[in-house]
Amino acid sequence: MNLDYNDEQNMLREQIQKFCETEYDFYKREDVVKSSADFDQNVWKLFAEQGWLSMPFSEQSGGLGFGPIELSILFEEFGKALVIEPYLSTVVLSGTLLDNSIYTGRNDLIEKICSGELHISLGYAEPESGYDYQNPNTTLDTSFILNGTKTLVLNGSNSEKLIITCSKDDSLCIVIVDSKTPGVSVNSFSTVDGQSCAEISFERVKLDESNIIALGDKAINLLKQTINLATLCICAEAVGCMESCYFKTLEYTKGREQFGQPISNFQVLQHRMVDMYIESELAKSLLIKAMLEVNNNSDEMYKHVSALKSYIGKSGKLSAKEAVQLHGGMGVSEEMMIGHYLKKMITIDALFGNADYHLKKFTS
Amino acid sequence: MNINFSKEDIAFREEVRDWLSNDYPKHVKEKTDKGININKDDLIDFHKALSKKGWMGYNWPVEYGGTGWSASKLYIFNKELGLAGCPPILPFGVGMVGPVIYTFGNDEQKKRFLPDILNFNAWWCQGYSEPGSGSDLASLKTKAVLRNDLDEDYYVVNGSKTWTTLAQNADWIFCLVRTDNSGIKQEGISFLLIDMKSPGIEVKPIITIDGDHEVNSVFFTDVKVPAKNLIGEEGKGWTYAKFLLAHERFGIAGVGASMRQLNRLKEIISKLDNHDLQKKVNELEVALSAIEITELRLLSALENGGHPGAESSILKIKGTEMQQSLSELFVEASGEYALMYPGPHGYENNAKPAGPDYAAEGLSAFLNLRKTSIYGGSNEIQKNILSKYVLGV
Repeated sequence: MNLDYNDEQNMLREQIQKFCETEYDFYKREDVVKSSADFDQNVWKLFAEQGWLSMPFSEQSGGLGFGPIELSILFEEFGKALVIEPYLSTVVLSGTLLDNSIYTGRNDLIEKICSGELHISLGYAEPESGYDYQNPNTTLDTSFILNGTKTLVLNGSNSEKLIITCSKDDSLCIVIVDSKTPGVSVNSFSTVDGQSCAEISFERVKLDESNIIALGDKAINLLKQTINLATLCICAEAVGCMESCYFKTLEYTKGREQFGQPISNFQVLQHRMVDMYIESELAKSLLIKAMLEVNNNSDEMYKHVSALKSYIGKSGKLSAKEAVQLHGGMGVSEEMMIGHYLKKMITIDALFGNADYHLKKFTS
Repeated sequence: MNINFSKEDIAFREEVRDWLSNDYPKHVKEKTDKGININKDDLIDFHKALSKKGWMGYNWPVEYGGTGWSASKLYIFNKELGLAGCPPILPFGVGMVGPVIYTFGNDEQKKRFLPDILNFNAWWCQGYSEPGSGSDLASLKTKAVLRNDLDEDYYVVNGSKTWTTLAQNADWIFCLVRTDNSGIKQEGISFLLIDMKSPGIEVKPIITIDGDHEVNSVFFTDVKVPAKNLIGEEGKGWTYAKFLLAHERFGIAGVGASMRQLNRLKEIISKLDNHDLQKKVNELEVALSAIEITELRLLSALENGGHPGAESSILKIKGTEMQQSLSELFVEASGEYALMYPGPHGYENNAKPAGPDYAAEGLSAFLNLRKTSIYGGSNEIQKNILSKYVLGV
């Protein structure tokens, strides 16, 4: 048994950390969030140059062949810096789905994702679907005509290609659609944590057999596997957020003086920060377990990701709420970074099944 | 990164399981399986069985007759015994005073005391807490004065100790006593071994809220203790006491025992169709998994050359909270039967009234386990430790 990261993994973390510290300033991020742009194109280019956009893809597809451990490291660091660039959407949800499929055009698309020139989004959720993604109301009929509406499509308005789940003869089907195809309409809006997403309608969109990525059981497995990996990634992101919440709160209370002394001297605050530290360590433990199970592609991997997600949903929000409280009035000021972690935690809990949903899934 | 145990460790786990099914005394197992409190003889039989297998010195180096186990073997041993429902190994001899004696004691003391600890021929108890000193241990007042009579050096001990677990069964007590009052309170404390049969020692029971007699007050009136029973140097007792606290790190979270309780609870609740309770149990299952992996992370750090320090306070806090929460769910699962409490020893000669078997046991555990967040450095003290050493405030 050895639960330490290896040297390569530690180097990767340092590299990402350094990038986030030097190139990813919170105020620059805020300017982008408030502008009409959904993310910083220049940052995306830098991601490509660092090789991060190629990380999870197999070497046959031109990727670096990294697994869930390296992805978790990346997302932990992204969590600390509150990165808004659509890595989850383009690389994890769309890219790894393609990489794990036998879709003929996948190599060309993955190459373009790696170089940073192409965004693809995955439409898996629908207005009526809740967290059940396997029975979409969107349909592909026998003449390959697509009808329906997808919601919460992350980065939907910036993607040239859309991967869409639909029903075909009562089976789950995954198709890829050019977003410029007649009948596709995109309504874009932003999420509470500063990302962009879209509601996308398909009205009599004419496709053909070559648009199909997977069908039936293969489609179900592909979708489950992809959502599971993405869930792991946002949990890692949450672990990064929790660590930052704890650390930034500690730094703040050490510097903030009241009644003639730093407020970190007060035991009541110390114990609450200790609780934040403990929660972040326990969440990290569940993350390690889950990422190793996913790495081994074990039968238990869904169960352990659900355990992690249910824990994160509760403890992540708790840490962020405590961070806001201990920052006092500054905690609720938009100009301070700390309150933005709370918004991130709300987003993470809501995505791909919240705490209650995954707690049930864990034991079923 | 690799979370799996080595082949050697897995073979060892099988050996432990074999011992549990074949050599763990059957009459003890029968009682613990039924949730009946065990008595002094049961505890002695259990410890003697461990001695016979050579496992009593589970945390000792080989040169003193211990097993010399790696941290992962220790973990497996603790977990398997907990899962099997064994009573906790009494820590006072083998876990506490033993390591102090082989680390700071002289050769004569090692020869005199260590074999009896390994063979469980001597029952030890711990004389730390006093009526006036709880979490602030160094404020202790029990006084030991060095005298010489007819060329014999001895201490005269006066004072009292409290919360002394199972002192009613003990042959020996190791005590922190004050031998000097002149410096700061941590100085002037000495570590003394005292024969419980010495004239002037009186043990009075303290009955806890579960109705059980587990802890005691121990009074010392002009108790004569040979000076050769002093460990190490006079005035260095605080250093030895701190060493002892650092030594009791593993098994602190009680993961194996909690897993056993969780599994029993799941079985009970599967028959109740109570979704609210089910949700609480599910939450504890996730949290217990988090505690287990946190313990494995500390273990891995230790085995790969790291030095886990204050982080073990996390295990103390979360492990004891877990034990308490589980016991509380047994009480909740009992519904209205929870109010019928016969005490820790069951209904004895009276007929058992209607209600689930686990009702009385659950309540007994719930009341008894209140102690876990108080003893061994209360959970608030653990948070102070984490504040100081991890947060740096």
